[in-house]
Amino acid sequence: MNSLLLQSLFLATPLILAAMAGYTSERAGVINIALEGKMLMAACVAGLLTATHGPIVGLIGGVVSAVLLSLLHWVLTQHYNLDHIISGMAINAIGAGGTNFLWNKLSDLGRVGQLPSLSLWIFCAIALISPFVLARISSHTRPGLRLLSVGADPEKARLAGLEPIKIRLGGLLLTGVFTGLAGAFLVANSGTFTDNMTAGKGFIALAALIIAGWRPIQALIASLAFGFFSALQLVVQGVDLFGVKLPSELWTALPYVVTVIALAGFLGKNRTPAGLGKA
Amino acid sequence: MSYAVELRQISKQFGAVQALDSVNLRVRAGSMHALVGENGAGKTTLMRILYGALSADSGTVLVDGKEQHFASVRDANSAGIGMVSQHYAIIPELSCLQNLILGAEGSGWLSITKATQRAQALAESMGFNFDWSARAHTLSPAAAQKLEILKLLWRNARIMILDEPTAMLSPADSTSLFESLNQLREKGATIILVTHRLPEVMDFCESVTVLRGGKWIASYPVSETNPAMLAELIVGEKMEEAPPLEAPSLGEPRLQFQNLMVVGDKRQLSVNDASLELRAGEIVGIAGVDGSGQRELVHAILGARAIESGFFQLLSLAAKSSTKERLAHGLRLIAEDRLHEAVIEGWSLVENGALGLHRQPPMASANWIDVPGRIAAAQTMAERFSTKHGGVNLPITSLSGGNQQRFVAGRALFGDPKLIVAFQPARGLDLKGTADVYAGIRSACQNGAGALVISFDLDELLEYCDRIVTMCNGKLSTPDSDFARDRDTIGRMMVGAS
Amino acid sequence: MKFKLPVLVIALTCVFFGMLLFAKISPATAFKGLFMGSLGSSGAISGTLREFMPLLIAGLAVYIALRAGLFNIGVEGQLLMGAMVSVIVALKIQGFAGICLASLSGALAGALWAYPAAAIKAYRNGHEVITTIMLNAIAVRITDYVAKGPIHDPSGTASTTVSLSDSTRIGNVLATPAVNISLLVGVAAVLCFAYWLKRTVGGYELRAVGEGPRSALFGGIEPKAIIVRSMLASGAVAGLAGAFMVLATEGRFYADFSPGYGFDALGVALLAGSNPILLIPSGFLFAALAKGGTSLAVEGIPKGMTTMILGLVIIVAAAIRYRKVVPHE
Repeated sequence: MNSLLLQSLFLATPLILAAMAGYTSERAGVINIALEGKMLMAACVAGLLTATHGPIVGLIGGVVSAVLLSLLHWVLTQHYNLDHIISGMAINAIGAGGTNFLWNKLSDLGRVGQLPSLSLWIFCAIALISPFVLARISSHTRPGLRLLSVGADPEKARLAGLEPIKIRLGGLLLTGVFTGLAGAFLVANSGTFTDNMTAGKGFIALAALIIAGWRPIQALIASLAFGFFSALQLVVQGVDLFGVKLPSELWTALPYVVTVIALAGFLGKNRTPAGLGKA
Repeated sequence: MSYAVELRQISKQFGAVQALDSVNLRVRAGSMHALVGENGAGKTTLMRILYGALSADSGTVLVDGKEQHFASVRDANSAGIGMVSQHYAIIPELSCLQNLILGAEGSGWLSITKATQRAQALAESMGFNFDWSARAHTLSPAAAQKLEILKLLWRNARIMILDEPTAMLSPADSTSLFESLNQLREKGATIILVTHRLPEVMDFCESVTVLRGGKWIASYPVSETNPAMLAELIVGEKMEEAPPLEAPSLGEPRLQFQNLMVVGDKRQLSVNDASLELRAGEIVGIAGVDGSGQRELVHAILGARAIESGFFQLLSLAAKSSTKERLAHGLRLIAEDRLHEAVIEGWSLVENGALGLHRQPPMASANWIDVPGRIAAAQTMAERFSTKHGGVNLPITSLSGGNQQRFVAGRALFGDPKLIVAFQPARGLDLKGTADVYAGIRSACQNGAGALVISFDLDELLEYCDRIVTMCNGKLSTPDSDFARDRDTIGRMMVGAS
Repeated sequence: MKFKLPVLVIALTCVFFGMLLFAKISPATAFKGLFMGSLGSSGAISGTLREFMPLLIAGLAVYIALRAGLFNIGVEGQLLMGAMVSVIVALKIQGFAGICLASLSGALAGALWAYPAAAIKAYRNGHEVITTIMLNAIAVRITDYVAKGPIHDPSGTASTTVSLSDSTRIGNVLATPAVNISLLVGVAAVLCFAYWLKRTVGGYELRAVGEGPRSALFGGIEPKAIIVRSMLASGAVAGLAGAFMVLATEGRFYADFSPGYGFDALGVALLAGSNPILLIPSGFLFAALAKGGTSLAVEGIPKGMTTMILGLVIIVAAAIRYRKVVPHE
């Protein structure tokens, strides 16, 4: 049973971190379907640098690479007024293609064994604490208030003397940091980078954020629930439950099904930030 | 003599349009100064320059005698300048307190208790009352206006710009607003009032500056002027008295509804037990302050909003008919929000001209678009009110706002309209354009149409409509026949005072 | 800023070449490899045309929704569901009737898979992008499960169906390079759609909803109905692309059936911009990239390079198309 809970926590940690990454950008008004690509890039760079320079440099490198992609996201959406969805898709493509390219070209493919890693507990602790910190920052600090107001109505925030473009830079840089941590965790947990190792986790994190109504603590709970279901799937796989053999696909599709139901408005009111995607 | 604000030779160009041409403005410290002019005279542009939201092409800005170069709103704020724009800057998702402090929060870590205490003290000093933790989406226009004034005080603004502050307010709320403003002035604030309502100027301001067509025309102490003189300065030529309207010959009913109930976006009762009969040949005006339910009524007439209960008949169609059927039977709309409700920004005049008429000849035959028919129609629409354009295949956004409005009005009168519903049809037009559009509506009515005009400008309705009904809190009322065109009576009915 | 767009293009190009040089790959080798692999021989051209068909039809699917103002990211899932359902039908019914019924049922399955996104967008105001991303993930899992379970080839262990009989395959009109009838159907569909969009009342209404939904509503056009219809049409075309892949190019269905055609299709549609006929060259470019990419591996260049090029092309295409004129005032 303990191992089930532990497994749940490890599966939930990247989801929580990525959901927080989504929180800081979406609440500032930038639609972020690029969590996946940023995480993947961070995982790849973290893997490459951990192999050559150790886990700390790997972690820093991973975070820096995700921050750079976030910076590109900011330039595209805020300076070039590119559609947020299109720029997100493009960044995912750059993440998927770029990591395949870099890993195959730069890693020592003959190397065997696990990469060294930092304690996974560091990542878990950050993941469990950060939703509370972000909730507090949002309601009780100047940057938090400004972030929410820019996401709610950029035009009116401008009239109050704020510069949405700068505040969104802050939000997206934080997105970079959180996706960087999430990517580095994936490498630390599995011991290496593999092609497309995020396997949709960025989208599940976004799903968790949506189900949570764009609120950090609720997103933490949703991510933990998704982590728990994934862990349960590993345990019950191939086991008859009440005489029925449950296909593992059913379990892995569950978060997505729940999200579609939530989007259909059957799980409480729509809390989409009003300024999402607006210039 | 000390001036709180002095603007010298301010010029500003937008594209090919000279919005401001060497404009001067001097406002004495501690006074209330009115800035008046028609739509498009450059009032708002000038104020945005003073507020740091725009930068001037040339000219000098002096605040308290010192030359200033504001690069941003924040710079202007720190020099003590605050502005309340016409559409309030209240963000509904935030609490009242968060709205109050946004942009001037003080420390990085917010002390909610301290901020609430100071907010409460400010509110009490003005005699206002707020639930600071409540979300701002519940605020009425009058309460939002009060919160905007507190925002100025929170930022320690000494020079306050108010852009059309009474546009959304009832007369009673307007009066109490001016009481508050007087209170602020007694405490030493300098107030610049941007308005087109001359009674406000005469009653509450000490001096006035008139702009016309981006140029400075005159500045006077209010004691040396009178409304007629100001009106003449504003429009540039002596206004002719409107000839009294002849009684129209009425035809069959075009629009009838009884005990109509319509619910708004937030499930509030927006049209409450309203009844009206409009016949062919007449122009009926609906007078009321903004937000009295006019928008929901128009949407219900168009078929874009459901009717909860009541009898409704439009031409020969019942309440269940679709917008598509109503348009096909001869309903025409001049929508309120031109860019979002009337035209499609990226489209040419030809494509926009077809919108709403696109299923019928000459725009289409069966399911196929009739290209020459649409081009000819667009040309007719443009000629109707002499829209200035560079070709009907250019995007509609290549036209100025006034010309877009002329084109939209031309479209509404194209073909054979049976019922014209016009929401502020003169929006963005000068006096000549306004007269032209109403003359167009009049001639359509003489040819068998009926027209319903909604406007927030009572004088415009009095000038052009055969009869006026008022709308207040969703209720329609007709003035007694003795007072059917009496400005004071109708004005009181608009705000629900009998 | 006058030079904004050139600055972006130059910066992205520099980053790209920088990566190539960093990985010690000569750009000339890379591009020669791409070109030879996609257009250098009649075999290569056949391969490119094979990729062209699904990319063109899926590109059209994305494009239909795009012109109604919707991002159908769900083309990937709709294509998968269409392919899966069509193979079930084609395995039961042989011959020409089988081809027709399988194509139809594939289109129907694609439309059905698009329906939740359409309804949630129209009636619940939920963003179609998020819904379709979720539906894609669900479709991948359903098709994987079905391919390895209920319909899998009993004679083997791989997650694939048996191959269709030759009579249930869509044939070629030209042997070398292979030009399949399904590709011609795709090209014809694009031309028909282009004409429909420009010259019919229905096309006018679709464009009105895409570019000004509220003005359209006030002009008697029901945006909700158009949103649902165009999303269903988009899903049906995507499902057809999947069915054609089964019936023309692949001849069977297997787990991981689509190599991301749904996502590439977004690039195809965006690059086409406001003119639907440009779907044809744009689809061909992406097909050449996809085909050329696979032969790059021979030169020791990872295939991820083409995905990166795709991302960069999407950025540049969108920057050109969605360049906004900054309004004064």
